[in-house]
Amino acid sequence: MATLMQRLHLTHPLHFVIGLTLWCIWFVAVYGGHAVACSVAPPAPEQGVFTLVSAMLLAVSIAAIALLAALTVGCCRMAKRQVGRLRFNASVSAGLYLFSTLGVVFAAMPIIGIPPCL
Amino acid sequence: MTTISREATPEGDNIKGPHQLHSDLHEIWGNPRGLQALTIVNHTTLGLRFMVTGMVFFLIGGLLAMLVRTQLALPDQDFMSPDIYNQVTTMHGTVMMFLFAIPMLEGLAIYMIPKMIGARDLVCPRLTSLGYWCYLFGGIILSFSLVLEMAPDSGWFMYTPLSSSEYSPGLGSDFWLLGITFVEISALSAGVELVVSILRTRTQGMALHKMPLFAWYILAMALMIVVGFPPLILGSILLELERAVGMPFFEVAGGGDPILWQHLFWLFGHPEVYIIFLPAAGIVSTLIPVFAGRPIVGYGWVVFAIAVTGFISFGLWVHHMFTVGIPQLAQAFFSAASMLVAVPTAIQVFVWLATLWLGKPKMKLPMLWIMGFLIIFVCGGLTGVMLALVPFNWQVHDTHFVVAHMHYVLVGGMFFPLIAGLYYWLPLFSGRMPSETLGKWGFWLTFLGFNGTFLIMHWTGLLGMPRRVYSYETGMGWDIFNLLSSMSSFIMSAGIAMVLLDFALHFRFGKPAKHNPWNADTLEWANNMPPSAYNFVSLPNVETRHPLWDNPDLPRTMAEGQHSLAVATHGRREMWGTDPITGKVREIIHLPGNSWWPLFAAMALAVVCISLLTRLYPLAGIAVIIAGLFLLRWSWENGSHPKAAPDAEVAPGDPPLHSRTMDGPGLWAMSITLIANGSFFLSYLFGWFYLWTVSPEWRMPETSPLSLVGLILAGVVLAAGAAILEKLVRGLRQGKDAGLAVGMYSISALGFVQVAITLWVLLSADLAVTETAHDAIIMVGLAYALLHGGLGAVLVLLQGLRVGYGYVGAHAPFEPAVVAQWWRYNLVTFWILVGALAVLPRVIGS
Repeated sequence: MATLMQRLHLTHPLHFVIGLTLWCIWFVAVYGGHAVACSVAPPAPEQGVFTLVSAMLLAVSIAAIALLAALTVGCCRMAKRQVGRLRFNASVSAGLYLFSTLGVVFAAMPIIGIPPCL
Repeated sequence: MTTISREATPEGDNIKGPHQLHSDLHEIWGNPRGLQALTIVNHTTLGLRFMVTGMVFFLIGGLLAMLVRTQLALPDQDFMSPDIYNQVTTMHGTVMMFLFAIPMLEGLAIYMIPKMIGARDLVCPRLTSLGYWCYLFGGIILSFSLVLEMAPDSGWFMYTPLSSSEYSPGLGSDFWLLGITFVEISALSAGVELVVSILRTRTQGMALHKMPLFAWYILAMALMIVVGFPPLILGSILLELERAVGMPFFEVAGGGDPILWQHLFWLFGHPEVYIIFLPAAGIVSTLIPVFAGRPIVGYGWVVFAIAVTGFISFGLWVHHMFTVGIPQLAQAFFSAASMLVAVPTAIQVFVWLATLWLGKPKMKLPMLWIMGFLIIFVCGGLTGVMLALVPFNWQVHDTHFVVAHMHYVLVGGMFFPLIAGLYYWLPLFSGRMPSETLGKWGFWLTFLGFNGTFLIMHWTGLLGMPRRVYSYETGMGWDIFNLLSSMSSFIMSAGIAMVLLDFALHFRFGKPAKHNPWNADTLEWANNMPPSAYNFVSLPNVETRHPLWDNPDLPRTMAEGQHSLAVATHGRREMWGTDPITGKVREIIHLPGNSWWPLFAAMALAVVCISLLTRLYPLAGIAVIIAGLFLLRWSWENGSHPKAAPDAEVAPGDPPLHSRTMDGPGLWAMSITLIANGSFFLSYLFGWFYLWTVSPEWRMPETSPLSLVGLILAGVVLAAGAAILEKLVRGLRQGKDAGLAVGMYSISALGFVQVAITLWVLLSADLAVTETAHDAIIMVGLAYALLHGGLGAVLVLLQGLRVGYGYVGAHAPFEPAVVAQWWRYNLVTFWILVGALAVLPRVIGS
């Protein structure tokens, strides 16, 4: 894991955009996936939230949360070890990964409360 | 290229007096007068032209607003007919959004960015010029529709089917679609070059984390333009094709869907709100530290907030469509995302308040407007969060509440900071100070008038008054509120008139400004007031966020030529090309001089626009070819062309000219352009899959009409051409150019073969493009592939010719690397098209 994090060059400013890009991809995936699933195989309304569609949306969301959270931790650790420009880059990236993680959590919460396709 | 007739002794220039240096630089960079002024490419002049033109359109849009408020002042008014009222409201929104807000802020960015980052110009000066002319011509064409009483009347968002030919049979929608697309060339041009300029032309030492915050904001805005505008360009092209030719993209009976337009429009439209807000917030983040007399609190937090705003704003578009019948879960996603975007905005507000709290704010005229912004924008933001809630949104949808919210956000979030910024930088523009008395009158009248107009409009909306109605009956409970709104709007107009009067009078009667009159910290105040065409005599090493606070003597030493690139005898327009992250110098960028080509190309494009409006399609085709020829001729004068930089000599110890490296700014400009192109392509794919999935009458044949064999053959030929090009570029990287010209001609031939095969596939498919959206969208996809293939082949052909002329080779290896990017992009998108249009339908079926 540590080697992987090192290979990711977490002090590079490209990480300013990676977390939010992942958020956008997740967002498009759940919105588009939901639309396609509802078009192809809409679940019965009486199933409520206990549907395959909800389960898959939730699974994608949990995977996104795990990935973003790991990157947040990686950037935080990296920021502590650096000074100057590299510390600035890693700190801002850590904040952006954290926001992206919480953004997925917040926007995914309706999946456990609202039935799909209605 | 201007050549100064003295012996080129670069090392000797440093000992010349400042006056001699100024004179030499002026000879190279100075603006011509008379008719030749149309050739100017300098960012200072073009930035001012953008802003002055923007203010003219602002006056037109403001006049239209006054007409609207006059009509609505009393019930049962017949001041305007319903038709004219619809035209006036549509044009008010269109002019303010497309012809004032965005170009005005782009103009400010074009003017300011090079000065703030220690550069002498933007990195693609001729592109700035093309952008300005496209904006001017597009704006004139669009505005002229008002004179003809043919203006668009379907609302500034042009919803289908109201804007389709069935319900809008006149030319109004065409004026909008063609005019706005024309103007958007300008926005995209500015977006591309601002990104590249900020990343690659900062003065040496200015690392990313030392960059002025205004540059961060403009970087985000420019990237958002690059990604956000193409969906609307695609939507406009599709709708114009539907209106002109009958391709049913948005017509349910033909397998289209009018909701697709809403998606494409708001994919652009919601980010646009932040495209307008971010530069304005950049002004606020620049001014508050200056007037508080201390650095901003939480520079890193602001960068964080800018990045979050830039991204999250793309995930909100459906909150404009909560009432169209989208599933509740999908609405909840967008409701949550809409609330999320309040977080970075709130962070910025707290940063600004903390900076004011910890500093010693001086309430000068610009700060009045900043305070007005804080009050109004926070209120607008709060009503925005209210509108993010789906049930509330349903209640007030299409009422005056939404109109009031929008004006709180846009006028509060853009206009107030803009005026603050203009007052702040006025001494830089003119060397004179504005009148505090007139300015304060202007502010208070505007502030009170604005709130009187739009605060009240919230109540009118909550009482149920719908937007876009030209009249209303008395007794609805709206009379007094509308009257107060209208009266207040005239007070606001008086305030704005006073501000504009102050601006105009100060050029003649304003007190001469002392140098750096507000004691600012950023580099633009190291310029002369007004600035010279080349900005700085010498380019400093800057390793602090506050260069003028940390070294107040810097403007003097820069003007005396004590820093870098204080050389002019070579006759080139030069500035640093630096590393985008560290700010270390990589190369010397040489810029092109004044040119007619941008104006000629824009004029040809204007002919295209007018020909399409008047349905003179053969003329439009000819004008497209002429515009293409002008643009290619423009591209010819690059690199080591005699009009660019035939002599690669640089001062000892200086890095090489960018055209003699493999990493010049053109490479970056092409990359950013391809991001915009990719956004267009993804929007197209979205349209294809959206209609396939959602359109109620979608009709897909049992077997695809496209020849899979033909497409695969074309793709293989394209891949062969791209592979040869990559090999040649690899060779150039190693300094080898043997067989370069022959290689280029071979690749070009392969490109034309690919185009021919793709054209055969298209023609043999026998598509019924006016019958079904399926066939129409395939037609658009293949036309996209043909255009890209054809342009790729022509560009490589020109490279072959340039090798023959000696403009390209091992000594100047740059350009093939730029063209290779185009071919890579073309290869990837072509195969995606093959997969989406020909393979997937065969695999999944209809």
